[in-house]
Amino acid sequence: MKRRSGHYLSLLLLSISIGLLSSGGYIHAKAQLAQWLIASAWSQSKVNNKQAKPWPWADTWPIARLEVPEYNIDQYVLAGSTGESLAFGPGYVFASAAPTEQGNTIIAAHRDTHFEFLQELQKGDVITLHNAMGRQRDYSVQDMTIVDKQDVSWLDNQAYSHQLTLVTCYPFNAIQVGGRLRYVVRAVSLEDISA
Amino acid sequence: MKTTQSVGGYLLSSLMSCLVYSWGIGLALSLTMMALVFMSTNVHAEMNDDMALDKIHSLAEVKSGQLVFRTEDGHYLASPQLNTEVAIEINGLLARVTVSQTFTNPSAQWQEGLYVFPLPETAAVDHLRMKVGERIIEGDIKAKKQAREIYQQAKNEGKQASIVEQQRPNMFTTSVANIPPKDSITVVIEYQQMVSQDGNEFSLRFPMAITPRYIPGTPIANRHEISHFNGSGWAVNTDQVADASHITPPVLVTESATSNQVTLSILLAAGFDLAQVNSAYHQVEEELVNDSTRKIRLMDNVPANRDFELVWQASDQQAPQAALFKQHKNGEDYVMLMLTPPNKLNIESISRELIFIIDTSGSMDGTSIKQAKAALQYGLSQLRPQDSFNIIRFSDDVASLFRQAQLASRVNLHTAYDYVAGLRADGGTEMAPALKLALHAEQYTEGLRQVVFLTDGSVGNEDELFTIIEQDLGKSRLFTVGIGSAPNSHFMQRAAQFGRGSHSYIGSEDEVRQKMQTLFNKLSHPVLTDLKLELEDSSGVEIWPKTVADLYLGEPLLLTLKAATLADEIVINGVYGNQPWQKKVMLQGGGQSQAVSVLWARRKISALMDEYRRSNSDDSKAEIVEIALKHHLVSKFTSLVAVDKTPVRPVAEKLNTQAIAVNPPKGNTLTQFPQTATAATLQFIIGLILFLSGLILRWRQE
Repeated sequence: MKRRSGHYLSLLLLSISIGLLSSGGYIHAKAQLAQWLIASAWSQSKVNNKQAKPWPWADTWPIARLEVPEYNIDQYVLAGSTGESLAFGPGYVFASAAPTEQGNTIIAAHRDTHFEFLQELQKGDVITLHNAMGRQRDYSVQDMTIVDKQDVSWLDNQAYSHQLTLVTCYPFNAIQVGGRLRYVVRAVSLEDISA
Repeated sequence: MKTTQSVGGYLLSSLMSCLVYSWGIGLALSLTMMALVFMSTNVHAEMNDDMALDKIHSLAEVKSGQLVFRTEDGHYLASPQLNTEVAIEINGLLARVTVSQTFTNPSAQWQEGLYVFPLPETAAVDHLRMKVGERIIEGDIKAKKQAREIYQQAKNEGKQASIVEQQRPNMFTTSVANIPPKDSITVVIEYQQMVSQDGNEFSLRFPMAITPRYIPGTPIANRHEISHFNGSGWAVNTDQVADASHITPPVLVTESATSNQVTLSILLAAGFDLAQVNSAYHQVEEELVNDSTRKIRLMDNVPANRDFELVWQASDQQAPQAALFKQHKNGEDYVMLMLTPPNKLNIESISRELIFIIDTSGSMDGTSIKQAKAALQYGLSQLRPQDSFNIIRFSDDVASLFRQAQLASRVNLHTAYDYVAGLRADGGTEMAPALKLALHAEQYTEGLRQVVFLTDGSVGNEDELFTIIEQDLGKSRLFTVGIGSAPNSHFMQRAAQFGRGSHSYIGSEDEVRQKMQTLFNKLSHPVLTDLKLELEDSSGVEIWPKTVADLYLGEPLLLTLKAATLADEIVINGVYGNQPWQKKVMLQGGGQSQAVSVLWARRKISALMDEYRRSNSDDSKAEIVEIALKHHLVSKFTSLVAVDKTPVRPVAEKLNTQAIAVNPPKGNTLTQFPQTATAATLQFIIGLILFLSGLILRWRQE
């Protein structure tokens, strides 16, 4: 009897573990694969000049392209920074300036998927952002700070320069989800620096 | 021992298979998702503008040049409108321009407006007045940040306020807070400017071309907000705006005669008999006051979409050969001196030497080297038989076509064309030896010597190169031509500055001809070079810019200086063609003008801005702020702000804060950063722990 229940318990444990592992894997797979779908929606939206959804039931659409050649980063930024869009790609924060435009553009993504590379970024690295109309802007990383998630007051949304702020959770390899700290990379348009 | 090994191996392989399995599930799911997407017929759902509309029922109904913005609840409202009135007074070589911008708010809500507009790059903006009803409020000059704060505070307190800020040297913004419903506020901006002179011809430009449109923001809380990127029905308009301005306002902008009207009037007192007055792009009415004075008015009000340019000519021999303006202010003397160089110079008889340096390093490979070669070939084609020339190429090594410069004979040119055709881009970028070779050969030359340097400037040792240029320049002049899509413009500009030449930039192969033509026109008509000033018995003299640039055909010499005690005369030395040239100017007399100190300060700020761009140092910034505050000038670091003391808007009533798309839409502000970690790691870890426990359990039972 004891033997039997032990057998069932081990089976249960194994099946739960497989479930958890595949769920974790799915998060990563989704993050990777969705970018392909988004890429095709992006080229569609560029051709038609319309918002193209990457899949029919999607609640978001690509609105910008983020490139950091130095770290082989080429990602499509989705509209909105809700959990839904962040699962598939970096999310553009609606309350910020439009990508490549004047003001402060804020983009957030998960620290363990798309924005894992933020920990590598160094001051002076160049980030390129393209908007849906093909406009491109190069930003140079100015500083990296760690802030509380509610400390948004310093964000200069009224900025007259062109700024880009990338946000992700901190610390990067924390196991727990829902920490209070955020890692914030601020970059300023090269044009503004030289102007 | 053996068992543990096998268990370990078993564990590892199970782990691996489990991982592969989990990735497999993810992959399968994603593939299914992808397949669904590809099979679905209506993939690209469009956004529908199905919002409730208030005053304006649909965008299709907007016929005139009405600007609208969408409110938080999805309603459309007519945005403030702007009318501009420009009055220009030209007095000899000085122009005083008054720009009145009237912001009218046709809506029933309080509004804030922001207007982006161009001004001439050399404009010295020194006055702001805000007219509210009958009252006039004078603007103050403040450090940019402080001015912003003052404006912001007034705005929040419901006071009427306006601020003029410089975005770029030629681009400004006016913001006006608390425009009452169905009312208007007028903002008056004044600036001082020099008239440009080219030989006998004088001109003044009033720019209107870069989308000087009123730009309201869109405080929309719903997801339609984003439609200004590529939403249906908006695309064309946003495209238009995207071309015209770096600010893409999420508004419907229809071009029509009624939007952003400009009226313009000019009083032209040339100071000499006028032969002809022309407006290049607009129809004007001209009224003759006397031989040297005209009143000019735009025939019709025009939409602000094209630069206005007025050109006037002096009747024979009437153009001033020299002009002197003075101002005594706060115990200091300011002087502005204009001199026309003698232009009877027969440049054809003067020989010159042109040295081309071409960068054939690896970074130039591809289109860059093609452009450089095309530019060089154009340069060769412009040589006259009496000119001499040489070509220096460099990568890892340096080589020159001839040992020393040769006459541009047919045979030599033929050799040169062949040489250019054979150039390949490969290897490193050893620029210093090439520059030295080009500059040292100077000793063999008589007359003019111009070095044209074609490169993408991808070097790291800029400072070393600048030193070489500075020390070895002699009488050569260095003209840098930036090639390729991303040349090192800092190096190009600064090298040209040290080389007392100019910088041009070729971005594509189509531009080669036009850009090189402009450059060579300049190169072939130098008039006065090596200009130096002597002021005896003067103290506290400040001349800006510090080095006097060479003068090319038609350009007048323009000096602005400040002195604590002013000498009686100024001596200007230079080289005219290849002869020494000297001119003494008595500084007594001259006209009095309030504009001199302002223009002097504006030129000083320009020079300091160059310095600031290079060094980014706080010292030059502080110096700019100091000089701008002292002379009441708008600059990159200072703004004019005017605040009415009485609050007009009840604080309880909402102000439709709207500006460029920058402003966070109300109700959609970021209150905290989004959640940006996934549970993947946690799931992996718990999964692994459970997996291991499961395995151990099984193993122990067996």
